[in-house]
Amino acid sequence: MKKKITIDPVTRVEGHGRVTIHLDEYGKVEDSFFHIVEFRGFERFIQGHPYWEAPVLVQRLCGICPVSHHLAAAKAIDQLVGVDPEDLSPAAFKLRKLMHYGQIFQSHALHFFYLASPDLLFGVDAPVEKRNVFAVAIENKELARKGILMRKFGQEIIQAIAGKKIHGVAAVPGGMHKTFDPKEREYFLNGKDIPNINTMIEWSQEIIEFIKGYHEKNRSMLDTFAMFPSGHLGMVDNSGNLELYHGKLRAIDSIGNITLPDVSTNDYQKYFLEGVERWSYMKFPYLKEVGREKGWNRVGPLARINICNAIPTPLAEKERQVFVAFTGQKVNNSTLYSHWARLIEILHCAEMMRDLLHDDEILSSDLVREGKTRHEGIGIIEAPRGTLTHHYQIDDKGMITRCNLIVSTTHNNEAMNQAVRWVANNVISQKGTITDGMLNQVEVAIRAYDPCLSCATQALGQMPLHVELINHQGELIDERFKNG
Amino acid sequence: MATCTFWIDGKKYEAEEGSNLVDAAKENGVFIPSLCYFKHIDPPLGTCRTCTCKINGRFNPACTESIREGLKVEVNTPELVDMRKALVEMMFAEGNHFCPACEKSGHCDLQHMGYELNISTSRFPHLFKDRLIDYMPKRMVMEHNRCIKCRRCVEEVFTADKKRVFMYINRGNETMVGIDYEQEAKLTEIEAENAMKMCPTGAIIVRGKSLSKPFGDRPFDMESAQKHFHHPITEKPKVANFEKKTIATVSLAGCFGCHMSMLDIDTDILDIAELVSFNKSPLTDIKTFTQRCHLGIVEGGCCNTENIETLKKFREMCDILVVMGECAVWGGLPAMRNTIPLGECLEEAYLNSVTSEAGENTVPYHEDLPKILDRVYACNEIVKVDYSIPGCPPSPNHIWKVVKSLLWGEDYSLLYSEFKYD
Repeated sequence: MKKKITIDPVTRVEGHGRVTIHLDEYGKVEDSFFHIVEFRGFERFIQGHPYWEAPVLVQRLCGICPVSHHLAAAKAIDQLVGVDPEDLSPAAFKLRKLMHYGQIFQSHALHFFYLASPDLLFGVDAPVEKRNVFAVAIENKELARKGILMRKFGQEIIQAIAGKKIHGVAAVPGGMHKTFDPKEREYFLNGKDIPNINTMIEWSQEIIEFIKGYHEKNRSMLDTFAMFPSGHLGMVDNSGNLELYHGKLRAIDSIGNITLPDVSTNDYQKYFLEGVERWSYMKFPYLKEVGREKGWNRVGPLARINICNAIPTPLAEKERQVFVAFTGQKVNNSTLYSHWARLIEILHCAEMMRDLLHDDEILSSDLVREGKTRHEGIGIIEAPRGTLTHHYQIDDKGMITRCNLIVSTTHNNEAMNQAVRWVANNVISQKGTITDGMLNQVEVAIRAYDPCLSCATQALGQMPLHVELINHQGELIDERFKNG
Repeated sequence: MATCTFWIDGKKYEAEEGSNLVDAAKENGVFIPSLCYFKHIDPPLGTCRTCTCKINGRFNPACTESIREGLKVEVNTPELVDMRKALVEMMFAEGNHFCPACEKSGHCDLQHMGYELNISTSRFPHLFKDRLIDYMPKRMVMEHNRCIKCRRCVEEVFTADKKRVFMYINRGNETMVGIDYEQEAKLTEIEAENAMKMCPTGAIIVRGKSLSKPFGDRPFDMESAQKHFHHPITEKPKVANFEKKTIATVSLAGCFGCHMSMLDIDTDILDIAELVSFNKSPLTDIKTFTQRCHLGIVEGGCCNTENIETLKKFREMCDILVVMGECAVWGGLPAMRNTIPLGECLEEAYLNSVTSEAGENTVPYHEDLPKILDRVYACNEIVKVDYSIPGCPPSPNHIWKVVKSLLWGEDYSLLYSEFKYD
């Protein structure tokens, strides 16, 4: 008898998704899907609105990385008023970067401490009531406290620049509307009111030590769990180093061959297409040249570490080298290494924030530049979860006529489906009974991508996990919610 | 002029004969909310009705009334307070006031009045009209969905040769404020910007112009206009014995920002973790209710069939149901699609995007996908809601003050600056 397993909702991810796994009469996995179940329609309803509203409007796509959407839209809107990223005033450029690093820092801290840490601390088979941040807070208060304060630090950097921790406003067409205050800078540097930036760097290093220990202990599992070949996509600067605010797009295949050779972000349309499947509201982007089947890429921390030549801050670069040495200099295709890569980025962001906080230019009031208006603007940025694209077209009067958004998590759509398939084939297939621990492993695989399904459903919206067993006549035989 | 005696809510006051009632009340320490009343516009417009009071036994706007001997005014009776609230709620429901995406947010008189009157949700269904956004003027964009027809621009915006720029067109509920494009083109940039500032909502906007100021620095962010009219609130002592309670949370068609705001109380979450156990929630791995909960907190409105089922389940399983954030309260930004046929949204996303494959003809539709609803519904259109917390997202203090009050009866006073729509 055939079965369908449904995991609904997938939890401890940002948003709402569902997994279905189809088994044949022998309990062998026939197929598996990761469905995104919501649709919001931003691309359509933003049409008709004036372009200068876009950065404020579209950041409502996501409450976890609103800064990324705000800045990607801001970069696109800059172009509409004739200001390319290179033309921004140094102060505006640095303030945007500072805010962006604050954002990635807090988002990564949120993912690691609030969402993923229960799996790492208590194991994937831990009882359901233990697998949450509140249990971490009770059992390991010091770790929880550090995680919370790290997120707080990033959130407060954002607040200092955008006025609010979530959905603030900072960018205006061609620049920024507020500079940094010397008092604010002091707040982050002196450490009287909140742990200072040097403490953030120390704690980032501590948590990297923790994850290294975890990798030493669990190496064979981490190497093989949800390992599959894929492309990797991200942004690099002119020397091929890791870049998160503005640079060139680079992609490699699973063994390191270049598939997208450091191209300008303005040309993204030449290289990317998106496929649609009937069973998910989230699309499937891929490299036109390589094709739908093999041209999809992972994005996010692991992809970025894989594609870059180096990280331009010393402590994080040292950690990158340790990471690369650990895996034998090869492109890393193992899903669970994302956590380690993410923590290296946390350290990089902390170092970048420290440098920017010490830079006097963030106090300058030279904030806005003007140029000659254009009809098309493209803003691409490395959001915490990967490459994020905003693209707007306007008419002569400034009305948005077309909008295209490719959200980071969309690039990871195929990768997450592959990860689910891996767990289905290797953990669930032909096992007879399906345990809660097995199902959590499906989620552990998805969670490693830190999917932001609220973003991904810009087009749409939300993600729960529920597994259904369906027989070969398509009848629902058994259905399990993870804690069911 | 002579001083005369008048009465507000049974108390005797004095003011100059002929002075405007709104001003006279204010001078005597009584706040009468008003939207379209400005001292320099004489006669007063009297269009918005926000200052409605009972004057000598009849409901009338206070701004069109002048002080005379023996005038008897009722201002703060429960009936009048509620009536004024309803009038402002009606304005919110009648137009498309998406505060989180509006450049006038923080500068908007209508929004300000919502704050002053403590409006967390509108009792009237939102109409989601699809009116013109007029891009024809030279310097301005006229967003008719935000116009409350207060007539201020009609009375006050003139060209150098004294010609009107704005005027009413049509009649009855078709009335709208039209722009004379020819005259508008004669305005200087500064005059146009002044018109934008004068507009009590975001209806008049100057092309490419953002009023955007940092949060906290905007005129209506921090201080209530009633600051000087209030007696300090004495807070009840905090509850000493907290009984452990169970909470469930969910994000429907939201962006997770409200959940993030809940976490923004930072290390206080460590204390909360000891007082509250989270049942079904995206922060835990509990996917279906394992018990009845004291409190359910819902983020996001309903955009698909599954949202509806989840929301109904929350109502069924939670003693108290709180909705947080603009989306849950009345639809929020996702409700921008309510004026657009669903098919167009789907086509734009899946068939006509810049990066769509040539000849793409697939739109997601599958047994494992919930069906998308014709429009986005607010939570209170589907189930009974006990408490609404507005904001995009609401401030963490707002959320937790409400939660603590509902769970343990802890008294709270919300600061003006903690109550926002954006």
